[in-house]
Amino acid sequence: MILNKIFLVVLSFASTFFLTSFKSNINDTISDFSLLNTNNKYVSTLDYKKAKGFIVIFTCNHCPFAKLYTKRLNDLHKKYLKLNVPVLAINAMDYLIYEDESFEMMKARAKKDKFSFPYLHDKNQEVAKQFGAEHTPTAFIIWKEDAKWRIKYSGSIDDNGENPSIAVSFISKAVDELLHNKSVTEPVTESFGCRIFYREK
Amino acid sequence: MLNRIFLLTPFLILNFICIGQYNTMWIPDTLSGTKFNLVIKDTFAQIVNKGNQTITGGINGKFWGPTLFVNKGDEIQMKVTNKLNDSTTIHWHGMHLPAVMDGGPHQIIPPNTTWQPYWTVKNSAATYWYHPHLHEMSVDQITKGIGGLLIVRDEEERSLSLPRSYGIDDIPIILTDRDFTAANQFREVPYGDSVLTNMTLRAQYNLPGQIVRLRILNAAIERSYNLGFSNNKNFYVIASDGGLLNAPVAVTKYLLHAGERIEILVDFTGQSGTSVDLKAFNSLLANNVAGGENFANGPFGNYLGKKDFTVLHLNIGDQTTQPITMMPTKLTTIKLLNPADAAITRKVTISDSLASLIPGVTILGPNAFVINHQLFKFDKIDYQVQKGSTEIWEISSTSVFGHPFHIHDVEFNILSINGVAPPPAQSGWKDVVFIPGRMGGPGAGGSPSVVRFIAKFEDYADAMYPFMFHCHIALHEDEGMIGQFVVVNPSSVDREPKEDPSFFIYPNPASNRIFVKLANDESAYYIKLTDGLGRTILLLPKPDLSKGIDIEGLSKGIYFLTVTKDSSKLTSTKTFVVE
Repeated sequence: MILNKIFLVVLSFASTFFLTSFKSNINDTISDFSLLNTNNKYVSTLDYKKAKGFIVIFTCNHCPFAKLYTKRLNDLHKKYLKLNVPVLAINAMDYLIYEDESFEMMKARAKKDKFSFPYLHDKNQEVAKQFGAEHTPTAFIIWKEDAKWRIKYSGSIDDNGENPSIAVSFISKAVDELLHNKSVTEPVTESFGCRIFYREK
Repeated sequence: MLNRIFLLTPFLILNFICIGQYNTMWIPDTLSGTKFNLVIKDTFAQIVNKGNQTITGGINGKFWGPTLFVNKGDEIQMKVTNKLNDSTTIHWHGMHLPAVMDGGPHQIIPPNTTWQPYWTVKNSAATYWYHPHLHEMSVDQITKGIGGLLIVRDEEERSLSLPRSYGIDDIPIILTDRDFTAANQFREVPYGDSVLTNMTLRAQYNLPGQIVRLRILNAAIERSYNLGFSNNKNFYVIASDGGLLNAPVAVTKYLLHAGERIEILVDFTGQSGTSVDLKAFNSLLANNVAGGENFANGPFGNYLGKKDFTVLHLNIGDQTTQPITMMPTKLTTIKLLNPADAAITRKVTISDSLASLIPGVTILGPNAFVINHQLFKFDKIDYQVQKGSTEIWEISSTSVFGHPFHIHDVEFNILSINGVAPPPAQSGWKDVVFIPGRMGGPGAGGSPSVVRFIAKFEDYADAMYPFMFHCHIALHEDEGMIGQFVVVNPSSVDREPKEDPSFFIYPNPASNRIFVKLANDESAYYIKLTDGLGRTILLLPKPDLSKGIDIEGLSKGIYFLTVTKDSSKLTSTKTFVVE
């Protein structure tokens, strides 16, 4: 029976091999980045001189679960921009394969859903790789420490996509803690949604 | 010890309360007719009662697509649009159709592309299904719930006095199990801790107090279900994978493996006001049958392993106005294929591959289960089957584990399982057969298990696109436990050169419909329409050229049309403009 068990256990690992993963860890550093916004102007982390941190949301045009968060992202941006923690939404989907994720469609989405925050096109998926973003929507909080951006939170925006009224916002809690110079009590939650497929080079 | 009990007690109470709360089983929507629009998409569903929604994949809906009702003899046209941001395929499991329409690993539908297969339904009345078959992605996409039932009706079945009010006395039951993360998301695992019957956790359903028909599909990634009722009640198997049985077969248990379907009749007459559970008696399974392992931990550890568990709680209510109350005695007369007509016996092997033992075999893990001593390769064809021929397939397995073996294109008759004729409920038409693990168990000893079946490969010669035969445990399939065969014409008609690869497109520019004309009025084997950036928009296997191609809704610009000719399979590409 032991042989049987070994056979079965070993086999299970094979199926996950082909998925590329760039997973990041808490306190990893992120370099400054500059990406094209849907208003045709580049937005850079360096533009925000007073920023203490950023709420970086990987989202996209087509994912129904990501679409649930439009109002919540506008609210987060409104609340935290004043406190120098703006929201940056980034689309890193493979637009070459999936036309729905093209820059033109991003523009249409930002306009239709009245995004108050920048909606940036990570055309080469380089920024997403740096963050290790795996799904849309996925949230990161990066915070300035010793003149470097460090990941302080990664995971979901909150704990209920469809029912915002009962959702507990992981992002608000983490940003509030960081603003009060506390460490984040729940720095990692699950990332799920529509998968970001990375193009091979 | 005391400490441990303290901790356990609240947990057990909670568990008990949860189990007490049944959810009414969801019934998939239906579509019927000859034209079907299926849109595969990323979506989400409230599967766990409390907390976050689960990310799923839907076809028209949220999890498991619509049940498609089709009639034998009809030509049906499928319009399958992939709105996932990943490629997929849709395989019509059990359907006898041209290989190019089959939806196996070769018929890849890229994102945002519409694939339009069509075929004449030649299958007999039974419960079939459709599901993704993209190589290495079956576990991922089936876990998300992409798939659905396909029910064929025919005159013979219609003439019988059988329950057929969908959702009332004719109930679709799609069995599977899933594991949920803390945030209610699916884990991609072979076995889940929770039974998920038609997308419903802790499912219950109300049935009338009469004879009801349950159409049961095992859509699990790996698990087999040893089905029976909590009161050990008799039930009657009336159909196997590919058609009615000669007569109802009374059983108290039926072991249904991944990919298999049965239709059963259960008599609840006079039982109004009572409840009974449809259960999986998996404690009775051998530990080399999927779901019979008893692992507490590790990748195969799961709460349901080697246990008996409820798959559906049934409450028996009042009779309907026109109840079926008589158990039929005769259903059909199966014309079994005759082994004397078999031109050839194919010897297929199943084994456990150790990388070190098979030189030149590249495998994903250190070990894998393999067919014919090799892993799946897109361009490796195991067999050329002559169109019109009858063949015996002899599957001989030295694997430690049992594997549900599925063959595309045909329904077959099982001849023997380890030398013994199949039980009555498996003596009709099948497209999945369970190949037991090698006799004598693991280790150096033991002898192979041998299963023989007979099939006739009547139609659809196509030297280009193969059909698959594989293990229907999605994990094993993804790891490469797949072989391929092509059906070919006995003569060399396929290769006859009469080539003029030219074609023209009119009108050009066009706005809503284009027509394609091939030299010598030849027919097209395949047409692919791509946009200026090379994205695939339409995939048209064997299109009817007289009808033209609908290009309504395409944005303005230059497009490429690639035509593969039917006779020579030569391919050429031309551009046209949409204005």
